[in-house]
Amino acid sequence: MTDRQIMTGDEIRRAIVRISHEIVEKQAGTQGLALVGIQRRGVPLAQRVADAIEEHEGVRLPVGALDITFYRDDLSLVAQQPIVKGTDLPFDLNGTTLVLVDDVLYTGRTIRAAMDALIDFGRPRAIRLAVLIDRGHRELPIRADHVGKNVPTSREEIVHVRVVEVDGEDEVTIARQVRTPETAVAGN
Amino acid sequence: MSVSEGTRPDAALGPMVGEVVARFELEKAWLVDPVSGREGPGEIVVMDGVLESVVWLAGDEAAGVTDRGVVVAPGFFDLHAHFREPGFEDAETVATGSAAAAHGGFTTVAIMPNTQPALDEPGVLARIHSASKASGSPVEVLAYGAVSAGRAGEQLSAMGELADAGVIGYSDDGSPVRTAKLLRSALLYAGMLGLPVVDHAEDTELTGGAEAHEGYVASVMGLAGWPVAAEVNAVSRDLAVLADALRDEPRARLHLTHISTAAALDLVRWAKAAGLPVTCDVTPHHLCLTDEWIPGSRRWSWEALAANGTARDPWVDGALTAWPYDTSLRVNPPLRTATDAAACLAALLDGTADAVATDHAPHTVVDKEVEFGRAANGISGIETALGVLLALVDAGRLPLARAIAALTTGPASVLAGWPATAGTSAARPRGLTEGSPADLVVFDLGESWMVTPESLRSKGKNSPLIGRELPGRVLLTIAGGRLAYEDPQSGTSNSNAAE
Amino acid sequence: MTTVALTPGQLAAAGPRFAGWHHRHLIDVDVLTWPEIELIMRTTDEMKGILARPIRKVPALNGRRVTTLFYEASTRTRVSFETAARNLSADVVSISTATSSVTKGESLVDTIRTLEALGAEILVMRHSVSGAPYLAAEVFGGHVLNGGDGWHAHPTQALLDLYTMRENVPGGDLRGRKVAIVGDILHSRVARSNIWSLTAAGADLWLCGPATLLRGMDRWATAWSGGAVPGHGRFNVTTDIEAALRDADVVMGLRIQRERMQGGLLPSMREYAARFQLNAKRLSLAKPGAIVMHPGPMNEGVEIAPDVAISGRSVITDQVANGVAVRMALLYLLAGAHEAGPGEPAR
Repeated sequence: MTDRQIMTGDEIRRAIVRISHEIVEKQAGTQGLALVGIQRRGVPLAQRVADAIEEHEGVRLPVGALDITFYRDDLSLVAQQPIVKGTDLPFDLNGTTLVLVDDVLYTGRTIRAAMDALIDFGRPRAIRLAVLIDRGHRELPIRADHVGKNVPTSREEIVHVRVVEVDGEDEVTIARQVRTPETAVAGN
Repeated sequence: MSVSEGTRPDAALGPMVGEVVARFELEKAWLVDPVSGREGPGEIVVMDGVLESVVWLAGDEAAGVTDRGVVVAPGFFDLHAHFREPGFEDAETVATGSAAAAHGGFTTVAIMPNTQPALDEPGVLARIHSASKASGSPVEVLAYGAVSAGRAGEQLSAMGELADAGVIGYSDDGSPVRTAKLLRSALLYAGMLGLPVVDHAEDTELTGGAEAHEGYVASVMGLAGWPVAAEVNAVSRDLAVLADALRDEPRARLHLTHISTAAALDLVRWAKAAGLPVTCDVTPHHLCLTDEWIPGSRRWSWEALAANGTARDPWVDGALTAWPYDTSLRVNPPLRTATDAAACLAALLDGTADAVATDHAPHTVVDKEVEFGRAANGISGIETALGVLLALVDAGRLPLARAIAALTTGPASVLAGWPATAGTSAARPRGLTEGSPADLVVFDLGESWMVTPESLRSKGKNSPLIGRELPGRVLLTIAGGRLAYEDPQSGTSNSNAAE
Repeated sequence: MTTVALTPGQLAAAGPRFAGWHHRHLIDVDVLTWPEIELIMRTTDEMKGILARPIRKVPALNGRRVTTLFYEASTRTRVSFETAARNLSADVVSISTATSSVTKGESLVDTIRTLEALGAEILVMRHSVSGAPYLAAEVFGGHVLNGGDGWHAHPTQALLDLYTMRENVPGGDLRGRKVAIVGDILHSRVARSNIWSLTAAGADLWLCGPATLLRGMDRWATAWSGGAVPGHGRFNVTTDIEAALRDADVVMGLRIQRERMQGGLLPSMREYAARFQLNAKRLSLAKPGAIVMHPGPMNEGVEIAPDVAISGRSVITDQVANGVAVRMALLYLLAGAHEAGPGEPAR
């Protein structure tokens, strides 16, 4: 496996600032907006978007955390149950415009689960989606409203988003799974 | 090793079970003769079913022969087994029980009368004798008659008729003789006939609903406790009644079977010292297994014994390796603590316990594949008795000669103490005696065997030792001069050692 | 809304995404390590969060089949398990001995094999014989969750008790906190499972009752008096109710059954109440903020005074509510535990 950096910490910071402007612009203000980060790395990213909006608009948006574990469609396929990390939505969803924040948009299944989960909490006016990386290969009809960086990938590649709050550093790397003869056999 | 020159035309296949052993020679084996007390390198020759010669080797001839290889001993005598026929042939028959006995090295087995119908009149005994004859097995099947009619604990069975038909004693085993009053009558009447009462000592008032030895393990496992007091109480009752009966009938005899607790053994020790004509046996499982097997330990009793004589804690030791609540461990009396097991061994070594008896209790899967508290009591143990005693020998806890004596001269001496059986062939000394019918077992201490359902000849696969290797594979059993068992592999695998 | 906000440190401590739960069955708490108990507690927090939502249901076990097999009547426990399963969107099949072929003499093993053939994946089982769920687990291809067996174990009750205690003890830490369990200890699977979990939690555990209903427990307490069993500590057994309650942080009553009088273990319910009932006077010995618990069903006026059962100290209804959340957590965790691999514990 070889790691190649595709975003530096500074690039991440600028992408967040740009997304924060886009969110406010699309809403024509901050009225009725709330941010919801998807566990785990979407949560610190949502906080950063809120920080950026507060900086240029002077308004602190409510930020929530959403754990989509119970809504995954692959629970019976994984070897062990994912550890639940906690949902915290400290505001009333009804009538708000929610912006879901996640690190990477890939198949779209996580976002599908997240929307199912949110709808169990109430009836938002609208749900939008902001992601740091869109790497393509959608399996569901889902697209992001705000994208930090579009990264064309192959399915064999893995995108790693690291954030200071979880990983101790900010960067995005891409790695190619090197198929050794053993793994190739195992894959059959 | 092979038994050669059989009496059938296709002698190449070797003789069949039940046929007279025409010729069998064994050179350079370890002979154990508990009658003379002698053991050492030697050779035996069996001709036409007779033990023609026993030669003790010395010097160069004896070189390389140790008590860790092929051993020859007299055929074993089990004072306590259940063959389930008539009535429970799904669990065992006289034929399968005899085959199992021979596989375990036993040539004589005394079976208990808790059949259906109970062995409380001579007709049932005749059925058993005819089943034994029909089986073709040369294993000698002796029987106890019931103490009470239908084992109901009310009236005496047809004791005199049973004696005439050849029972060697009376027992309501499976249950104790129900009341002290009935026991007194039984001891007197049986004493008059020169036969003993063999009691399963249990105060059933104290054990109603009990599931496991009352103690630490039962407390943790939530099992209803089976108190030591239940055995002690019954043994003291039995001894008091015996002392009383002896004043009227000096030939009254009491045998206490499967004694399992240190306290009850102390009572027997005291009674023997006081001169009461009481004997007792202990089982291989109470010697070697403990109640900590129920939560999943699989270590031997002596491995579970702390230096100060108390039982170690299997949870502390991380000794729990097997699935808990294995119903093959449910037995009456229950598996006790390591301290009790050590007391059983001490009793065997100091003579308080006269013999090891298996209490071979085969059961069907239907009766055992149920909840622990609902499982039938009993361990299918006649084939593993030698192996577990040899594990004690391997551990240095029991001399080989003592283990053999507990299975041969021990039970024989018990019968020799009963007036009506003394002097009969059943009470014969059981040594390696030249000129007598060959009655012996050959086993290899250098070879262990895996206990599996398939390896057991008994219909009862209810053994907690399934999946375990035991020392001392039995190679050959000859009963009354006839072939009782031959290890299917021994013809090839041991030919060098034996011929 | 009950929420849990984990710190990054806690998130990191939670370990890799797929770590944490290795048990295919849960038959008793004795096999659980402390981190595994913590995982159950954390997952229960999440489940409580779901129960506080407008829609108290998530699709986590959508399409999975949970079967409750009760050989002992217990409406409350069965309803708690079934509510938990439905909250996770599982399909629930409910079997009780009154309606099944068990009454026709079918063996437990045959019943289990039949239920498996009918598609049962998670079997919640209640049985009157100690150890019965181990037999079920031996033949069942899915997961067995013990809903109480004989006198042996009641792991979901012990875990909901632990959860409720942590909610009510300042700081949520039971280390050094005195917990008194009073009543019929001998026949209590609740007490036995609580011994494992509360000693693991570091509580100062006291078991109290009449001598006839404590039989054998002193041997267990003595065996553990050195605190030698890994992960577990000593506990106390006493017939002195005042010693048990003095300065207690938690007081739990256990049900006294009338059958105990027929068994010659108790002179009368009246005498039990006079000597051991949890009443206001006795509870004044406990710490001022002490909580009162009971696994139910209660005999008010026997083991617990009616005013105590409904007093501000009582968390008995919290226990019932937490029971659903704990059972949701365990159903969820078990559903993801596949066959133990080499080197992994089978239990």
